[in-house]
Amino acid sequence: MRERNIPLYTLESLKPVKEFDIVGFSLQYEMSYSNVLNMLDLARIPLLTVERDENMPIIIGGGPCTFNGEPVADFFDCLVLGEGEEVMEDIVAAVAAWKKLGKVDGKSGILKKLAQIGGVYVPSLYDVTYHEDGTVANVAPNSPEAPAVVTKRVVKDLNTVGYATKPIVPFLDIVHDRIMLELFRGCTRGCRFCQAGVLYRPVRERRPEVLLKMAKEMVDSTGYNEISLTSLSSADYSCLPGLVDSLMDELKEQGVSVSLPSLRIDSFSIDLAQKVQQVRKSGLTFAPEAGSQRLRDVINKGVTQKNLEDAVTAAFQAGWSSVKLYFMMGLPTETDEDVLGIADLAYKVLDLYKEIKGRRGAKVTVSVSCFVPKPHTPFQWFGQNIAGEFERKQQLLKARLRDKNITFNWHDARTSFLEGAFARGDRRLGQVLLKAWQNGARFDGWSEYFKYDVWMDAFKTCGMDPYFYATRDRNFDEIMPWDHLSSGASKEFLQREYEQAVTEQLTSDCRRENCSACGVCPGLGVEVLDWGNKA
Amino acid sequence: MAKLRLEITKGEEIRYISHLDYASAMERAIIRAKIPVAYSEGFNPHMKLSFASALAVGVTSQAEYVDIECKEEVDLSQAIKRLTAALPLGILIKGAKYIQGNVPALMAIVNLATYDVTVPLLAEDIGIIEDSIRWFNEAETVSYVRESPKGKKEIEVKQYMAKAVKIVPLEKAVRLMLEIKITPTGSIKPGEVVVALVGMFDLPVDIDNLLIHRTGLYISDGNVQVSPVEL
Repeated sequence: MRERNIPLYTLESLKPVKEFDIVGFSLQYEMSYSNVLNMLDLARIPLLTVERDENMPIIIGGGPCTFNGEPVADFFDCLVLGEGEEVMEDIVAAVAAWKKLGKVDGKSGILKKLAQIGGVYVPSLYDVTYHEDGTVANVAPNSPEAPAVVTKRVVKDLNTVGYATKPIVPFLDIVHDRIMLELFRGCTRGCRFCQAGVLYRPVRERRPEVLLKMAKEMVDSTGYNEISLTSLSSADYSCLPGLVDSLMDELKEQGVSVSLPSLRIDSFSIDLAQKVQQVRKSGLTFAPEAGSQRLRDVINKGVTQKNLEDAVTAAFQAGWSSVKLYFMMGLPTETDEDVLGIADLAYKVLDLYKEIKGRRGAKVTVSVSCFVPKPHTPFQWFGQNIAGEFERKQQLLKARLRDKNITFNWHDARTSFLEGAFARGDRRLGQVLLKAWQNGARFDGWSEYFKYDVWMDAFKTCGMDPYFYATRDRNFDEIMPWDHLSSGASKEFLQREYEQAVTEQLTSDCRRENCSACGVCPGLGVEVLDWGNKA
Repeated sequence: MAKLRLEITKGEEIRYISHLDYASAMERAIIRAKIPVAYSEGFNPHMKLSFASALAVGVTSQAEYVDIECKEEVDLSQAIKRLTAALPLGILIKGAKYIQGNVPALMAIVNLATYDVTVPLLAEDIGIIEDSIRWFNEAETVSYVRESPKGKKEIEVKQYMAKAVKIVPLEKAVRLMLEIKITPTGSIKPGEVVVALVGMFDLPVDIDNLLIHRTGLYISDGNVQVSPVEL
């Protein structure tokens, strides 16, 4: 496109991106940052917010990464914390009003207006100072319009908020090329490594009749033949069996199938999976996350060895023979014994198949990722394992998984290291990102494009240390670069959870059991919506 | 069970989508239009659609054909109306009819494809073009080497040429009109014919900027040719 002098344009209207009033990016993953810069550059929009005047589009970021958007603070005019449905309208209205009045006070005029909208973070209206040891000393607004703490936006009731029933259906195959039906938002199981579990609190379910109506409208408007029931933990939807029955009844004639993207580890989930696969059949995936009971207690993954055995037994009895297991390595307190527990589980699954079927033949895929501590989680203070340690553990496990029926996949430790640095990075990483992009970093999440050396050179050139961000243990009293960005969950809650983790104590799901006092409901004026419980 | 046979286009708007994506666009439109289409049995049911011929990425067409197997017969004008409303830009319905009974697949009966290839000229003198085309038309055999991931394969081009190539001079470009046979043992792509013309007959055109447009698909007995909706 550069060679042919074609500016980045939109696929729907074929209009240059630069001609829009607002350009939004969804920041789902730290490793996509270099692509954001590349897209801005392809669109011929200056990368740095200070280089853009009121005639340039306003660059907005959303998605989970905004909860520590500091590493991209130099590039974004504003970052939106939390759910977009309502705040989007507020932002568009503010920009439209500003434009109508002749763009009063230019760029800084609109940024100050936007900063007053709940959930909107305007990084340029904050100054950050640092201690000599490199940690953050203070983050303070430099303008009266900017609040000291920006708190996420949250939709109170998903049943009444608008939803998109006419999504764009691209001609090309895309990721998630199907209808995504969001059953509920939030998950309060409280897995301590999980950032989404904190960011999207509390649990708010859609009513089954609303979902059915949405599904029918979306099939009619898109022509997709598959509906994925999405949520952070879809099997936890309180009215799931009834919903699945009615969806299948109503849509089977049209050749539409229903799929569950993730399964809970229990036999209930297997029954459901069996039901939905009347139309199309695929493999089964479970995520025990850790190899030993001890470590699963540390991360508060409320799954026992027996749960897994029951689930796998039910799956084999129902006719499945291949199972995928997801794990992480590098979790707090992890020992080699915990790592080898992953292998024990994999062999246990093979044995179960033999017991049930009387012959060998199960296929087990073990996928192990490298744990990346994320901001706003109980593990935000924890120093990530260094790449060499991850690689040692990978080899340790590989040596143990020598069975032709077990496939072992692992993540590149160096990619996870870089992700770790940016996940908990501060504003000073903006220059590293810029430098790495200038030196050719693109598509860093794709192993075939990942250029580790380019990134390490960029850190060196900028005089920054990636280990400081990724692998350093933090003190509880350290000011985090994201402390002024609030998910509603208090730092005290996170710290309590970290302390419970290292002492291997469980915290129950607040949706049905005791409230764990994270602070979200009272702080944001919202509540858990759980229709199965209330009916 | 009745089959709904459609004559449809692949327009400029969707020139660069693949045959598979073109087929899914049709499938989605059929669902949106609520055409009572039949599905295959089994674990992985799929819509019973069959196309006459796959069209390459970058090629447009004014006459593609697809058979849609239906569970019941919706009134033809209703079906066309609903499909037209559901189809994306770039796919127009130009003809339609129901076919009863067990008929041979489109793929098996279509044996002739016609194309217009428009390509910028690298020479001013139209005489050079005419000479080059005439040599090609008069040649007994022309061999073309097709390279694929599986290896190289030599193909005789002329066996697939149903008629002599015709030319229409345009402003700084030329339009080549090709009639190509589709046989049970294979065929040749219009782009490959142009490569052969450039490589072996010195046709002075800018081959990187050619635009291929399929003008028709036919069932031909050598004398009479009819389109699948005229059968």
